[in-house]
Amino acid sequence: MTQLLLFNVTNGLIIGAFYVLMALGLSLIINLSGVINFAHGGFLALGGYLAFTLSPFLGFWGALLVSPLLTAALGLVLERLLIRRLYGRDPLYSLLLTFGLAFIFEDATRFVWGAQGLPVTIPDFLGQPLSPDLFFITWYRLFMVGVVAVSVGGLFLLLRHTRLGIRIRAGTLDLETVSTLGVNVGRLRALNFGVGIFLAGLSGVLAGGQLGLDPTMGAGLLMPSFIAIIVGGVGSLPGTLVGGLLIGVASGVTAVFLPSASEAVMYVLMALVLLARPRGLLGEEGLMT
Amino acid sequence: MSAAGRTGAPVPLAIWVLLLLAPFWLGPVGGYTALGTRVLVLGLAAMSLNLLLGFTGVLSFGHAAWFGLGAYGAGLALKFVALSTPLALLLGTLTGGLAGALLGALIVHRRGIYFAMVTIAFGQVFYYIAYRWNSLTGGDDGLRGFARQDITLGPWHLDIAGNGTAFYYFVLTCFAVAVGLMALLLRSPFGRTLLAIRENERRARFLGIPVELHIWIAFALSCVFISFAGALYALLNNFADPNNLHYSLSGDLVIMAVLGGMRSFWGPLLGAAVFVVLQDYVSSLTTNWMSFVGLLFVLVVLFFPRGLLGILRRQGTA
Amino acid sequence: MSLLEVQAASRSFGSLVAVRSVSLTVAAGELRAVIGPNGAGKTTFFNLISGAVRPSAGTVRFDGRDITGLPAWRRVALGMARTFQITEIFPELTLAANLRIAVEAAAGLRLRPWLGRRAAAAVARGVEEVLDQAGLTAKAGRMAGELAHGDQRAAEIAMALALRPRLLLLDEPTAGMGEQETYDITRLVRRLHQERALAIVLIEHDMRVVFHLADRIAVLDQGTLIADGTPAEIAADARVQAAYLGHAAEAAAP
Repeated sequence: MTQLLLFNVTNGLIIGAFYVLMALGLSLIINLSGVINFAHGGFLALGGYLAFTLSPFLGFWGALLVSPLLTAALGLVLERLLIRRLYGRDPLYSLLLTFGLAFIFEDATRFVWGAQGLPVTIPDFLGQPLSPDLFFITWYRLFMVGVVAVSVGGLFLLLRHTRLGIRIRAGTLDLETVSTLGVNVGRLRALNFGVGIFLAGLSGVLAGGQLGLDPTMGAGLLMPSFIAIIVGGVGSLPGTLVGGLLIGVASGVTAVFLPSASEAVMYVLMALVLLARPRGLLGEEGLMT
Repeated sequence: MSAAGRTGAPVPLAIWVLLLLAPFWLGPVGGYTALGTRVLVLGLAAMSLNLLLGFTGVLSFGHAAWFGLGAYGAGLALKFVALSTPLALLLGTLTGGLAGALLGALIVHRRGIYFAMVTIAFGQVFYYIAYRWNSLTGGDDGLRGFARQDITLGPWHLDIAGNGTAFYYFVLTCFAVAVGLMALLLRSPFGRTLLAIRENERRARFLGIPVELHIWIAFALSCVFISFAGALYALLNNFADPNNLHYSLSGDLVIMAVLGGMRSFWGPLLGAAVFVVLQDYVSSLTTNWMSFVGLLFVLVVLFFPRGLLGILRRQGTA
Repeated sequence: MSLLEVQAASRSFGSLVAVRSVSLTVAAGELRAVIGPNGAGKTTFFNLISGAVRPSAGTVRFDGRDITGLPAWRRVALGMARTFQITEIFPELTLAANLRIAVEAAAGLRLRPWLGRRAAAAVARGVEEVLDQAGLTAKAGRMAGELAHGDQRAAEIAMALALRPRLLLLDEPTAGMGEQETYDITRLVRRLHQERALAIVLIEHDMRVVFHLADRIAVLDQGTLIADGTPAEIAADARVQAAYLGHAAEAAAP
C-alpha cells in the first residue's frame, strides 16, 4: 500500500511537472496577449510528431532540441498571419480561431502520420528503472522532471533577468505604458508567443517518449493545463506552477483509492479553489478578473 | 433598432413561413425532414447560448455540458422513469437547468477569458462522468435503449414516434414556445438589464443593478433553454452520447451564433442552418470534416465576425 | 444633519497611499467642489464615496447610515448617483434605451420579465422628462455611442438624474469640452442644484466653473485634504496656491 501510494505520488508529481510545462506556455500567452490558445495541444502533438520524424536523422537529443524550435517557428508564422489580427478584440474571436486551428492540427496530424499511435524512440539507458527497489521510476521519468525543472528555471530567469523577460512582465501588468515607453508591443507579443509554443513543442517530445504519440494527445492534455492555470490563478505564472503540480499529485493519489475518479478529482479541486479563493491560489484580484 | 434584437417584421415572418413549410420544400431541394429537425434543435441551442453571448456579453464556452445533460436527462427518464415524452422533456430540462444554475452561482464573479476557461473546464466534468459511468450512461458507446413516445391528448393522438414529419411539427411547436419566451424576456425590463451589462458593466452597476445576480439569472435561464434543446435532441436521435457534452460541441454552438450574427435574435438559427447543412453535405464527401470545420472557424473569425445577419442589418440601417 | 459624512477615509494601493485620512461633509442641497492637482486622489475619493472601492480605513455615512461596506449598487438605491471622468454609457443602444434602462432600474423594475401597460407608460414619461431636462429630446433615437462628446456627457448626467438621486457625484463633467459645451453643462448643473435642491459633489479642473458654481470647495493634494472652505477662503489660501504653483512648476520643468 505504501509502495503504491509512493508510486502514485511520484507519478503524480511527474505528470504534474508535465502539466506545468504545457500550462506555463498557455499562461504566458494568456497573460500578455489575452488569448486562450486552444491550439496549444495541437502544437504539442506537432512537437512530438516532428521528433518522431527527425530522430532517425538527428537522434533523440537532436530532435529534443530541433522539433520544439520548428514548432515555435510555425507558431510564429501563425501568430503573424492570423492571431495578431485579433489582439485587443473580444477574446471570443481568438478563442474561436485557435479552436479552429486545433481542429485543423489534429486532422492534419492524422493525415500526415496516420491515426495509429507511434512511439518516439528514446535512448536505451533512459528506459531503464533507477534501481530494483525503485523499479517504478525509469530514468526517463527522472529525465522528464529534469527537463521541466531546467525549462521552468530557465523561463523564470529569462523573465527576471533579460530585457525581453522584463518587458514581458511589465507588459503583462500594463501594456499601454510599456508601449508608450517605445517598446514594440507587436514584436514582444510575437516573441512571447514563440516562447510559449516552444514549451508546447518540448512537452510534446517529452510526452511522446513516455506515452507514445497519437493525434488526439494534445486535446487530452489541454484540459489539465486549463485547470492548472485556474487553480493557480489566471495571470500568475508561479500559480500555474503550483496548480500543475497540485492537480498532478491529487490525481495520482486518487488513482490509488478510486482509479475511475482520477480525472474528476482535478475538477473537484478546481471547484473547491473557486469556492474558497475565487481568484485562484496565487492570483491577484483585479489583474484579470 | 429597439432594445432587443428586432430585425423588423418581414424577417421573422419569412422565417416562420419557411419553418412551417419545411417538410414540403426540404425534399425537392435535396434535404430531408430530419435535417430540418436537427436545424431547429441546434438552432434553439445556439439561440439559448446567445442569450449570454450576444445579449449579456458573457463568454460561456462550455454550453454543450447543459445541452448534453438535457439529452441524458431525457434519455434516462424514458429508460428508467416512465414512457412519456413530456416527462422526458421536463426531466431533461430540469437536469441541465439545475446543474447550470448551481455552477453559475460559483462562477458569476469571473469575467472575460477567465469565465470562458472556467466554463470550458467545468463543462468537461460532465463529459467525463458520462464517459466513465458505464453502468448508468453506457459510457463511450452512448445511452441507448430508449425511444420517444407518441403523445395522446384526449381525442388527439400524435404519432411522433414513427412519423418524422409529425415529430418535426412537434419540435417546431416546442421551438416556437421557447423562442417566444426568449423574445418576451429580451423585451422586458430584465432583458434590458442584460443589454446594459453587455454594453457597460460599470454603468449598469452604478444604475443600481446587481450585475452578478442578473448574470446568474441569465446563465441559469440560458441553461434551462439549452437543456430543453438537448432533451429534444435525445428524442430526435433516440440516443445520447458523450459527444453531446464535449467542448467541441460548445465550440460548434458558439460558431453557429457568431456565423449567423450574435447581435441579432435570429442569427444563431441561421448560423445553425448553415452549419448543419454544410456538415451533412461535407461529411458525405470527405472524411476530413474536422479540417473543414476548423477552416470554417478561421474564416468566420477573419471575414464574418459580425455574422451573416450582422452584415445584412448593417447595410439595412446604416 | 449632513447628507454625506466621510470620516478619516484612507485608501492605499500597495505602497501608494491615494487618499490619506480625508474627512468631508456635504449638507442636503449643497453644491460642493473637490479640486486638486493631477494625481491628488480626487477620483479615488469619489470611488470611496460611491462604493467603487472600499476604504482601507475610515467610514462613509449617508443620511446618517453607515454605508462603508455597502456595494455600489445598493448605494444607488439609497439615493446616490454618479458620473465618470471617462463617459460611461451604453454605446450601442439608442439614447432613449439608455435612459429607459436607468428609469426602470430606479423604479425597481429590473427583475420584471414583463411590463404592464400602465407601468410602461410611466417609464416612457420618465424617459421624456429626463430627456427634456438634459435638453436631449431631439436626439432620443440616436445611438448613444454616435452622439457628440458633449451630448454623451449630458446623456450620462441624464442617466444619473433618472435615478432620482439625493446626492449627485460628477467627475469632471466638462472634461474635453469646448467653450459652448462647458457653458451648457455648467448651466445644467446649476439649474439642477437650484430647482431640485439636489446635493452635488463636483470634481472639476476648470476653475471658472468651480468658482462659479460651488458653495464650498475642498482641496486635495497628494491624497490629503489641505483646505476646505468657501470660494473666497480657498482663493486666499496660501497652501492651496503653493500646491497648485508647486505642481505648475514641476509640470513646467522638463
